[in-house]
Amino acid sequence: MLRIFRAVPLADKVLFFFMLTASLSGIFVVREALPQAADVIVEVDGRPVRTAPLSVDGTMAFNGDCGEIQVEIKNSRVRVSEAHCPNKLCVQQGWVSRGVIVCLPNNVVVFIGGRGTGTKKGLDAVTG
Amino acid sequence: MNRLDEIQRAFQSRGGTSFLLGLLLLAVIPSCGDSGRHTYQKSRAMMDTFVTMTVISESRQQSETAIQAAFNSIEEFGCLINFFSATSELSQINKNAGVREVRVSPAAFDLIEKALYVADKSAGAFDPTIGPVMRLWDFHNGVRPPDADIKKNLPLVNYRDVVINKKNSGVFLRKKGMLLDLGGIAKGYAADLAVGALKQHGITAGIVAVGGDVRTFGLRADGTAWNVGIKNPRQTGAKDEIMGTIRLTDKAISTSGDYERYFISDGRRFHHILDPQTGYPSDRARSVSIIARDGVFTDGFDTAVFVLGPRRGLDLIKEINRDFEVDAIIIDVNGVIYETDRVKETIKDAKNL
Repeated sequence: MLRIFRAVPLADKVLFFFMLTASLSGIFVVREALPQAADVIVEVDGRPVRTAPLSVDGTMAFNGDCGEIQVEIKNSRVRVSEAHCPNKLCVQQGWVSRGVIVCLPNNVVVFIGGRGTGTKKGLDAVTG
Repeated sequence: MNRLDEIQRAFQSRGGTSFLLGLLLLAVIPSCGDSGRHTYQKSRAMMDTFVTMTVISESRQQSETAIQAAFNSIEEFGCLINFFSATSELSQINKNAGVREVRVSPAAFDLIEKALYVADKSAGAFDPTIGPVMRLWDFHNGVRPPDADIKKNLPLVNYRDVVINKKNSGVFLRKKGMLLDLGGIAKGYAADLAVGALKQHGITAGIVAVGGDVRTFGLRADGTAWNVGIKNPRQTGAKDEIMGTIRLTDKAISTSGDYERYFISDGRRFHHILDPQTGYPSDRARSVSIIARDGVFTDGFDTAVFVLGPRRGLDLIKEINRDFEVDAIIIDVNGVIYETDRVKETIKDAKNL
């Protein structure tokens, strides 16, 4: 084994090492550049209470400030299917595949596909 | 053949090796440099809105500690000035209107002092004592209050009847029934507080959005300024949601719009930005964005300029520009765009505003 190693020209060893590093660093590059595996994170009163994969259909119920709030996952999309807040803006928002659903009266936030807000079009924030 | 030999020899010699090693280092070092400064983002529902903090940091640990501290500072502050919470300092002031002075925390006092500055500069176009009239309106259920009720409560709206005592952080409302409502300025102040907390924890770049009140500092991970979109007041779909974008660093931006909370009655739009002189929604503008260093002033003056309309609003901007750098983007009630010189041509999609 050692003899074979010695027989390999130095340039080849360097090349081998280089290619190994390049391919390994590729893993990190991909991990950084691509979004994390799509998850649904539900926060109540600012604390994460449940993380569920977006790929698995189902419903979850949480106790918000205005009573029970129901979150449904179906076909990689999420909606608030039931809430007892006065305006039900969260229910009206309907199905969301990426971004956030906020129910302010309930103090419940549902993040879809990561914890960030998923701001659009390269924007860091929106005013208005 | 000769050539190949030459290359092989070069590679086998030390020079060749260090050349390759150098290449390797070149490939690895910049990626290390990039991964050093990461962007971290967290959002929470607070102060009746959605708060998002984005920071640039070399350490996840540092960013998380800083963001948590910033959220805490907003939460504490939100409790002090919550109009609807009976235990807030603001409610104590309101309960004791016409009775006695109430001592408040430094943050609440500072905000009230600044709110009165905005009120004074705008001659009451922004008035933090709008409470008695504001509470009559129910924008969610689209209920218009009787004219007589507005008329009856209007004399209670006057910022000149707020007495503040800097020595003991005391606040007194002269007339019984007066209500201080800081909703028109508190979110911008919260963004300032959050940025202060982030900086205190060693963060040198970030962006804090308390609803539509946004404050930026430092630069993004790619070394460019923060990119903030401005909402189209007459959005018809997902495509025309943003009417323009602005690049900011170490500046705040706030927007007041007639599209945020409103109802339509008899073909007329009733929105939540009331003219303190009349008690009815101001009908001179659709959207006003103000850009300045502090969120508390962008938030306060966007309401003031909205109420004043483009002509008098721009006069006000010119005047306060003597105190500090300030810019405005105004869409008037007919959809006409007004922009100050430093922010000229920010609004690009001007077809349907």
